[in-house]
Amino acid sequence: MSLLPEPSTFEKRYSDDEKLASELPDRPITSLRDLQYVYGRLYTLATAGGGEYAAYLTPEKSTDLFDEPESLLYLRIDLSGNKPRLDPEQPIGVESYGEEKVEAVAHSWFNAAKGFDHSVTHRTGKNKEPEKVAEYLHERLTAWAADDVIQEAVADHEDGWIVDALAALGESEGLRERIETAVDEQLDGKTTALTTVAVKLDSDGEYLLPGEASSVFNEAMRARKRSKLVSKGEATNSIGEATDLVTGNRGPTVGTAEDPLNYFLGKQLEKFPGFDPDEAWRTHPVSEDVAVTLMNARTFVDACDYYTMGANVYYLPYFFGRLQPTEARELYRMLYAVVREQDMTPIQHVYQQFQNDPALQEYGERFRFYVAAVMEHQTKRFDVFGDTLDGSLMSPVELIGSHIDVLESPLFDVHGDAERDTPELRPAFPAPESWDIFVPSEHALLGTLATGWYFEQTFAPADDDDASADDYRIRALVAVLSGEPLDVETVLTEYVERLLEDEGEEFPSFRVSAQYAQLCALAEAGLLTGRDAYKPVAEPRQLTHNHTDDMQQDTPARADGGNVAAARETKLEQFLEQTPALAEDQPERRGSFLLGALVGQVTGYQQVSEGRSTTLIDQYPIKAVTESKLKRLASDVLDKNIVYSRENNMAGTMYSEVVDRLVTTLPQIDIDGDWELDTTDLRFYYSLGVAYGMNNWASNDDEQADGQPATEEEEA
Amino acid sequence: MAQESLEGRTDEDDGLPETCLSFELRGEWGHFRRVEGNIVKQTYRIIPRTTVAGLVAAMLGLDRDSYYEAFSQNVSAVAVEPIDELRAINMPMNTLSTAKEHMTTMPSRGHARISMPDPSELRQQHNYEVLVEPAYRVDLQLANDDLRNRLQDRLRDGTSYYPPSLGLSEHLAEVTYLGEFEVTPHERETTDVDSAVLEAVDSVELTPETEVKVERSPAFMTADEGGRTTTAFQSIAYATGAEPLRVHDVKTHEVDGRRVMFS
Repeated sequence: MSLLPEPSTFEKRYSDDEKLASELPDRPITSLRDLQYVYGRLYTLATAGGGEYAAYLTPEKSTDLFDEPESLLYLRIDLSGNKPRLDPEQPIGVESYGEEKVEAVAHSWFNAAKGFDHSVTHRTGKNKEPEKVAEYLHERLTAWAADDVIQEAVADHEDGWIVDALAALGESEGLRERIETAVDEQLDGKTTALTTVAVKLDSDGEYLLPGEASSVFNEAMRARKRSKLVSKGEATNSIGEATDLVTGNRGPTVGTAEDPLNYFLGKQLEKFPGFDPDEAWRTHPVSEDVAVTLMNARTFVDACDYYTMGANVYYLPYFFGRLQPTEARELYRMLYAVVREQDMTPIQHVYQQFQNDPALQEYGERFRFYVAAVMEHQTKRFDVFGDTLDGSLMSPVELIGSHIDVLESPLFDVHGDAERDTPELRPAFPAPESWDIFVPSEHALLGTLATGWYFEQTFAPADDDDASADDYRIRALVAVLSGEPLDVETVLTEYVERLLEDEGEEFPSFRVSAQYAQLCALAEAGLLTGRDAYKPVAEPRQLTHNHTDDMQQDTPARADGGNVAAARETKLEQFLEQTPALAEDQPERRGSFLLGALVGQVTGYQQVSEGRSTTLIDQYPIKAVTESKLKRLASDVLDKNIVYSRENNMAGTMYSEVVDRLVTTLPQIDIDGDWELDTTDLRFYYSLGVAYGMNNWASNDDEQADGQPATEEEEA
Repeated sequence: MAQESLEGRTDEDDGLPETCLSFELRGEWGHFRRVEGNIVKQTYRIIPRTTVAGLVAAMLGLDRDSYYEAFSQNVSAVAVEPIDELRAINMPMNTLSTAKEHMTTMPSRGHARISMPDPSELRQQHNYEVLVEPAYRVDLQLANDDLRNRLQDRLRDGTSYYPPSLGLSEHLAEVTYLGEFEVTPHERETTDVDSAVLEAVDSVELTPETEVKVERSPAFMTADEGGRTTTAFQSIAYATGAEPLRVHDVKTHEVDGRRVMFS
């Protein structure tokens, strides 16, 4: 639930272009701070209707508590007598927090692991024990009311005595115990709540929450929030005259403003010799107004942030150049939707809106994103694994489009046998429906991609639970979201590492298949680069070539398997032709693939026809393939194949389409010369071959019709 | 070779000369820390104008905080053109904690003391965004004759007072002198701009072929009693592949047959 006004209300309120333009920055968004400023500005414009303290309050932080039982707890403090006291009858008020209480509760959240919120109202951590809740309630008096900044701020206020009285009450003996007992009696158990105070000022009056009782509470809150702009951590008074980095205006600037992304914190000395936290306003100068506006960006920034693979991914939409009034309204509409519905990633949200809104589509290249993956090691130590202001929605969408094209091509053909033009032979690779990466739905795949699951299914798993700079999955995610190409050599390394981890009892052919679908899609979308020998791997396959036409040509039936064998021949020929990485001038890679294909083919035969538990792939696992062993492995496998052919009394060699090509490819490999390829490369293409070969079987009906070898029929 | 000072020089008000000195900056690595972050270590892609000033000052051996006047508006102009594709990678580095409790001051008493982190402490790994093989052409106009002449001598001889570097001292820069060139101003027009585009982000023509990127970095600085502050930031647009950008209605200058924008 959100407190932000509906976009239509926002649009009505700011329908005057000129007036709205005067509220927006007069220069283009060219930095993260500019973008945060725009977000904060929109948020303040949307919510400022709440009065002069609106910009300082953070009601969005607790909308999750709306209508939850026991979500608003307060000390009932009677200030009408000579001495402040807890209400003797009912010391604690327990209610359900709701939208109608927002202003009365007047909460101003503060991002700090220890310490308290700016307002007298403080949000507890999740599911706190009654004992802990009592402590929070007690601290409203001992920590908040007694705080120096707050005491100073209320000194001249006509109701300053209220805060003084609260602080005095906090000192009284046995108070903590009384609060604990009361909480114990009135709470059911653990709870997450806003804790605050309600004061009775007249003997016949009601107990009033801070926002209702006196402006002194909000004045004190504002003073406290401002004080944090100049003092935090090591810094005590970081303020000075400089140029604001957002507005470009000269004036007083503060050094320790809260940053919704936590890129700038007060304490690091690091590369700045003599860096003094009190001088932070020099390196990161923002004026007080800008600082508060940046803080107000938090609601929108947080909504556009999601957690995956140990990192926070930020995906913040904006428009290139100076923000126009129409764009500001559009942006508000978008951010509003992201805040309202947290069930989708911001990418899916924005794309959905993009599809439904022709006005948005017209922005084309100007519609951009700030994309970043940020990892939080500890509360105050962050690493960024890549960030850019230049993300485009089209980059992930185009990748998904390519991915679907690949899935629907004859390589995978996810639509099932019935719809296939050539039912006699299976597609090149398996595409099990149970794997998300094989679901040809734009919406589903965009979700798979945005959450990082797209790479989690194919890349090597991380060494530990924490994200790290070595975790290529996160880098790949950020790269794809921002349209940066991935290095194909690294991608192959990830693939092979994953395969070696997977390779246990069975050969991971679904994994290989998923990886290959991804590799093809990345290449097709222009998101792969490779140098030297890796260049052809990064090239897209020629998917436009019409596979079916060739398949239906009259290829003469072959002795080793009739029409099915002939179709196999055509399929392999086309696969090799359409794969730049497997061209004839790439004998090492081509040889690895063909070797794998033969191993896969024979393994399939052994499993189905011979009923063997130990197959060729068990004898020649992925890790057995190395440059130096490739030729020897090939000759072993070729020998095995001949033995099987003889056992079956076949006129020729089984799987001759593979055998023939392997035999002509092997001599081209110069084993003593310079090997161009890395073992990783060989292993990936070997695995690809195995997956290809294992999937290269026909249904029994077809085989009988085509007169498969008798032995196969008997034993099947 | 003594470090020289700029004190007492007042010949900077004569306006900019009609020529500029051009040199190429290259290095294996570069890191120009973005001001938005001190916890995180992200880099600008285009060398900031203030860094160019610092680098030139280092070559000339000028005192810390002494040279900002000489590189201020009206008495200096800088154009930066990326020569090669701008590419960055993440480089995890092991660093020592610089929190107060981890700093040692040596010697423990006396006037000349330095603070340093305790080298026996455990390192923390941080991710630095680092530019890979950055390369820029810099066209620099300086009103201060003396400085200009000294710089030209340095560039010609290939010498430098302090080792020039690209952002961090460990990322050494290779400086190649290209020569002194005429600077011909052009009225406002629509043209292909070879250098990074300054303060005209809204005027850049967006096409699907060329990826236009933007950033905002410090441009001018001033010194005060406590240290230094940035007096102006500038918005920069550039193409990732170092191609020229088509920009509408901008004032440009011609240098060596190229169109550049000075600030």
